[in-house]
Amino acid sequence: MSQSLMSKSLISKKLPKLTAILNSKAPYSNSAGKDALDIALIFGSFEQPTSLFFQGDGVWQLIQGQNGTIISVKDYLKTFAAFEFYDIENIYICQESLIQRGLTADFHIEQVQVLARRVFAEKLATHHTVLRF
Amino acid sequence: MPTLHIVRQSAFNSDDFAQCLQVLRNNDVIVFIDDGCYNLHHKLINTIDSEADIKLKVVEKHALARAITIDEALYTVINMNNLVELTLTTNRVITWQ
Repeated sequence: MSQSLMSKSLISKKLPKLTAILNSKAPYSNSAGKDALDIALIFGSFEQPTSLFFQGDGVWQLIQGQNGTIISVKDYLKTFAAFEFYDIENIYICQESLIQRGLTADFHIEQVQVLARRVFAEKLATHHTVLRF
Repeated sequence: MPTLHIVRQSAFNSDDFAQCLQVLRNNDVIVFIDDGCYNLHHKLINTIDSEADIKLKVVEKHALARAITIDEALYTVINMNNLVELTLTTNRVITWQ
């Protein structure tokens, strides 16, 4: 590693880190959504600024009316209601992904912001670290 | 403020590359590795705005192993050391897998 790169790396460690968690999977066929939720709540517990992004099939995690218990899956989506208690207030969803799936902005939590594709991309780029699930 | 996008899945088999393109911004860098190399010949490649100055790079061994031809006018051929360096010279990394 060159010296300039090393100093850049050291400097960036001193700045406050904004973390984005990018959700891309539907809720029930794998553990990605639950894993993302666990990480978000852990970051929240340690007062680390964290934003949630939902894109692709990940948008299904926010849609109203789901009930995993019907198919014997633990319904972790209900825990989303706790985000405000963990100071997770920045929740963004990709409008284009909603449209592609014929979905409307009818979510089971309230503070979701629907963003057009370009705004969604710009918002994501304001974060230092992006973890995708 | 470029983002490094590491694409590891074939768009013939998953939606990951399409989602990557949804959040692509001017001057970003895309590296195709593993099965992501199959995207070199996927029609989605043609949807990338040529004016956006997106850098397209491919890990040479991963493409060669899959008998994927590389148009070096479009793609920069890199190795794993180059990939590590890219993680340090870009502002953030998103892995699409």
